[in-house]
Amino acid sequence: MQGGSTGIGYGLKYQARCIADVKADTDHTSFIAGTLSLKEENEVHLIRLSSGGTELVCEGLFSHPNEIWDLSSCPFDQRIFSTVFSSGESYGAAIWQIPELYGQLNSPQLERIGSLDAHNSKIKCTLWWPSGRHDKLISIDEQNLYLWSLDSSKKTVQVQSQESAGMLHYLSGGAWDPHDVNSVASTCESSIQFWDLRTMKKTNSIEHAHVRNVDYDTKKKFILVTAEDESGIHIWDLRMLKVPILELLDMHTGILYTDCCLPTLMTWAVRCNPEYDGLVLSAGTDSAVNLWTASPPSSDDLSSESLMESHTRSVDPLLNSYSDYEDSVYGLAWSSREPWIFASLSYDGRVVVESIKPHLSKK
Amino acid sequence: MGMEDGDIPLDDKAKRMRDLLSSFYSTDPPHSMPANTSSKYATLDTINTTSFDAHQYMNLLVQKSNLESLLQRHVEMAAEIKNLDTDLQMLVYENYNKFISATDTIKRMKNNVVGMESNMEQLLEKIMSVQSRSDGVNTSLFEKREHIEKLHRTRNLLRKVQFIYDLPSRLGKCIKSEAYADAVRFYTGAMPIFKAYGDSSFQDCKRASEEAVAVIIKNLQGKLFADSESIQARAEAAMLLKQLNFPVDSLKVKLLEKLEQFIDNLQLESTEISNAVVGRDEPPKQGKTAESVPSSHEASTYEFVEAVRAYRVIFPDSEQQLIKLAHDLVTKHFEAIQQQIKRQICSTDLLGLLRVIWTNVLLMDEVLPDVALSDFSLEASRLAVKHYIDSTFSHLLLDISDALTRPKEGAEEEYYLQSALDASKKAVTEGSMHVLQDFRQLLDNDLGLLVKLRELIIDWVQEGFQDFFRKLDDRFLLLSGKTNLTSQDRGLTEETQKVKVLSGLILVMAQLSVFIEQNAIPRITEELAASFSGGGVRGYEYGLAFVPAEICRIFRSAGEKFLHLYINMRAQKISILLRKRFTTPNWVKHKEPREVHMFVDLFLQELEAIGTEVKQILPQGLHRKHSRTDSNGSTISSRSNPLRDDKMSRSSAQRARSQLLETHLAKLFKQKMEIFTKIEHTQESVVTTIVKLCLKSLQEFVRLQTFNRSGFQQIQLDIQFLRTTLKETVEDEAAIDFLFDEVVVAAAERCLDPIPLEPPILDKLIQAKLTKTSVQSPTSSSPHGITKRERAEEGEASVNTACFCRVVLQSLLFKELRGYMMEAQPCETISQPRVKAVIRLGSETYSVNASKGILSEQLVSMKEESMSILKDFITKHNVPNDVPDEIDDISSGDDDDGETSEKVTLKSKKQRK
Repeated sequence: MQGGSTGIGYGLKYQARCIADVKADTDHTSFIAGTLSLKEENEVHLIRLSSGGTELVCEGLFSHPNEIWDLSSCPFDQRIFSTVFSSGESYGAAIWQIPELYGQLNSPQLERIGSLDAHNSKIKCTLWWPSGRHDKLISIDEQNLYLWSLDSSKKTVQVQSQESAGMLHYLSGGAWDPHDVNSVASTCESSIQFWDLRTMKKTNSIEHAHVRNVDYDTKKKFILVTAEDESGIHIWDLRMLKVPILELLDMHTGILYTDCCLPTLMTWAVRCNPEYDGLVLSAGTDSAVNLWTASPPSSDDLSSESLMESHTRSVDPLLNSYSDYEDSVYGLAWSSREPWIFASLSYDGRVVVESIKPHLSKK
Repeated sequence: MGMEDGDIPLDDKAKRMRDLLSSFYSTDPPHSMPANTSSKYATLDTINTTSFDAHQYMNLLVQKSNLESLLQRHVEMAAEIKNLDTDLQMLVYENYNKFISATDTIKRMKNNVVGMESNMEQLLEKIMSVQSRSDGVNTSLFEKREHIEKLHRTRNLLRKVQFIYDLPSRLGKCIKSEAYADAVRFYTGAMPIFKAYGDSSFQDCKRASEEAVAVIIKNLQGKLFADSESIQARAEAAMLLKQLNFPVDSLKVKLLEKLEQFIDNLQLESTEISNAVVGRDEPPKQGKTAESVPSSHEASTYEFVEAVRAYRVIFPDSEQQLIKLAHDLVTKHFEAIQQQIKRQICSTDLLGLLRVIWTNVLLMDEVLPDVALSDFSLEASRLAVKHYIDSTFSHLLLDISDALTRPKEGAEEEYYLQSALDASKKAVTEGSMHVLQDFRQLLDNDLGLLVKLRELIIDWVQEGFQDFFRKLDDRFLLLSGKTNLTSQDRGLTEETQKVKVLSGLILVMAQLSVFIEQNAIPRITEELAASFSGGGVRGYEYGLAFVPAEICRIFRSAGEKFLHLYINMRAQKISILLRKRFTTPNWVKHKEPREVHMFVDLFLQELEAIGTEVKQILPQGLHRKHSRTDSNGSTISSRSNPLRDDKMSRSSAQRARSQLLETHLAKLFKQKMEIFTKIEHTQESVVTTIVKLCLKSLQEFVRLQTFNRSGFQQIQLDIQFLRTTLKETVEDEAAIDFLFDEVVVAAAERCLDPIPLEPPILDKLIQAKLTKTSVQSPTSSSPHGITKRERAEEGEASVNTACFCRVVLQSLLFKELRGYMMEAQPCETISQPRVKAVIRLGSETYSVNASKGILSEQLVSMKEESMSILKDFITKHNVPNDVPDEIDDISSGDDDDGETSEKVTLKSKKQRK
């Protein structure tokens, strides 16, 4: 299970936490990553997988004023992305545009097309409209949820609506439902909350503590994957919020303890494959990326019978564990163009792109 | 004659034989010869045959004989001829004589026949006269004879009438003498007459006799139902009743009902008895009752059997009903047994009950051999025994989980885990041994029923154990709250279970699993092999039902699972504490570190709690300290540790940066650190793993923050303190060291201005803290041996009381308590209670008095008491969590106090020196 160094590596200069798939780039498989260095000049790397898929090429290197805590790429324009950054105490979020003809320029500067500067507490993340050309953008800080409308041509961004999550909730992140563009999930200390963007009201919540990361299944409606400190990865059906329909690490611990005696460490990132059903990646403190096959009972036959079956089924859900990392892995992104490829970013600034093709057949 | 050489004897012999045979089979061979050949074979013997030819004979004789013999022959022949002539003459003479006598007889007959005709006519005449005379007599006597015959008939009739008139009294007599058979015979004899004339001439008579018969019937019925009568008598009675045309079927039904009722009574009796058995609590009496049950039971069964036997004789065609009855009886017996089993009985009782049933069945079998009652009861007892085994196992399961979850009352708080473990261990071993013993009793018994079931029982026991251990594993999982339950009850249990689950329980279960795997299963396997082998009804392809290897595997993995679960639970609890610690303050505006932070205390407290739990349950590991060469990777980092401290002490940002670089470089060269090794079931391993996990999450939390210089220094101080205190407890020192370094490095990386504390200050602060903790817990047996604890001697007690008060108050200060008045009044007097504190929380006032021991002990006990008061207060007032937040806010309030106290500490140290 110990994955050898099958991946293609790429080194960032500094420590880093975030990497994103450049969804809008339909010609190449590219990723964008930002560094997290408190004292150095931070950088944004545009990385492209060479056509042969054998090496990672730096397509662009841009300096970024502050250390980057979150980064997401615009789904319709490959040159636009957003970052959440901080310097010491101050936090900010901005939308950037990679300058045209950057290949020719020696030290190209990112063009800031909008600052999400309505926040008054620590910003956690930005979310783009899940797919297609749309001017909506969400940013989440510790207490609030902002819906922005972006005009990329006029280079303006405006708060469209805003809602406070309440004093007691410290929001930590979120995800935009790709199936229902009016719904956004946000995570906080004790629960996962669901918001309706039309009314900006909370519609529902899952009482589940210490969720680190959340992702929607892009293929299957109503399926949500969460990663948390305490017990690994949970898969939820949004129509039955009481209990998760599947617990991945639980099964992992239940079945694999004899082979793998590592205790549970924090899982920091979880991502659903955009194409293949039930493939989930997770990464965290254990310096490894795990590929799971988590086929929750299909949404059509949620009878108790099939649930029972899925519980008693003793197939090992862990397909592979890529453990060739030196440090904790915080960044994780599937390529939407080539959905069997994913990029991971460990804290020491190493980007590793792996192909899961050998494991697809196993599934 | 050339053949003479060798063939002659044979030829001769063959010829003779042929001759003999031919003379034997054909009496007269020469006669059959054709004439032409006769000459050829003619012999002298032909003289006496019919085909004698004189010429031929002559020729032959002449040819064959010489003269002398011819002459002799001649003489012989002449003599023979003479003899023959004489014979012939004699014959002729005799024949003549006979002819003459016959002629004479014929002549005489002719003379006698002449006078016979007249005699004949006379005779005819006389016969005629005789006939006429006899006719006369006949006609003269005819009238009288007719009369006589009539008279005779009348007499017969009169006699019958007389009999009928006498019948009632006769019947009465019979009744008196109980000669019912005669009575019935008479009555049936008279029956046709009654039928013909009953309504007219014999009305009275009929009525009387019918009355008598009614009496008879009644008597007969009585007799039939009377158990005291002999069976023959009762059978006879039934026969008679049948002859009297009495509706016997209804009687039969009645009798059957009686039998049924009897069964019911019997059953009632038996349940009563068994109730008594169960109700009796004292074990010594049980033997007695078990014996008395069968005896009384047997008696009643005998009765029943007798009744059945009688019934069968009386009503020979009633098999079906009796079979049904017998089945009922057995079924009821087994129902009773099932009820008993539900109430958990021991095998002796079960044996007793089974024995009763079996004797009953055997008795019944005698009476009703073709009912196959024994088969039926065998089937039923099969079920019962199976049920018994099953229920025994489920009781055992319950016992064990009870032992787990309900520790004995009165067990000391500190050792409750140990007592729970001991109790459950005991429950497992003794329980299973007891169960085995029980089952062995079943096996050893020579009761017919059980002997037949022997193999099955063996299989069941084996299966039962297999099943039992699986269920035990499930139960453990359920108790740990980690089961994959079905969706319906999942939500419910998760809420209820999660709260209930104690981490200690999980640890107990982990160790219990190990115990089961290593001790209980081998023992049980041994026992099973000793006395429960040779089942194998299931067939050999399945092997034995109890597969110790599989169970061992299950429990080995369960043991590891629970240990991991325990570690995770504990680590998560601490992790929450750490998260609170790191998310709450504003690290960028952190104040200069003045002392080791509260969270370290809490962390250590948690570790101590873990230590006490672990100590009770887990064995001590082989005390091998993880020497530095043990793990390759760690050498650099741990060696670089003092080095780095050096560099850090140079207090320049530049240095810090180069040191970061150094770490990176070191990382490049060293092997990936194997931080998480296999967890063993030892105290050290578990504690170490928890510490490692916590440090790992500490590092993660640190990475999320940005620190100013003071913040970094605070972290440095805390870590340094932890490092010194934890070194003693943990196993894998190198790895832990590495992790500590990692935390500091992470903090340095996230620090805007990473200038570490000057070593003297660091040391001073740590010493201060150490002194504090060692005073706080001079007697407590904390698992993390504090290096300087030895210093905590009486001398320390002389340190100014004000200092201690501050110590106490500081550890009491929670964010939630801000605003509450608090007051400590150390009592300066030398009289026994020297420490006294009054805590006012809102409207409530608590006073704390420490009354014994040296001053430091008093303070410790006071601290503990006031802590518990505060805890109670907090829980009572439902404050959301008990994790204390930043203490800085408070200390900033009484900054002056703090400084003075520090001074005091320093001063006290100096004094000591």
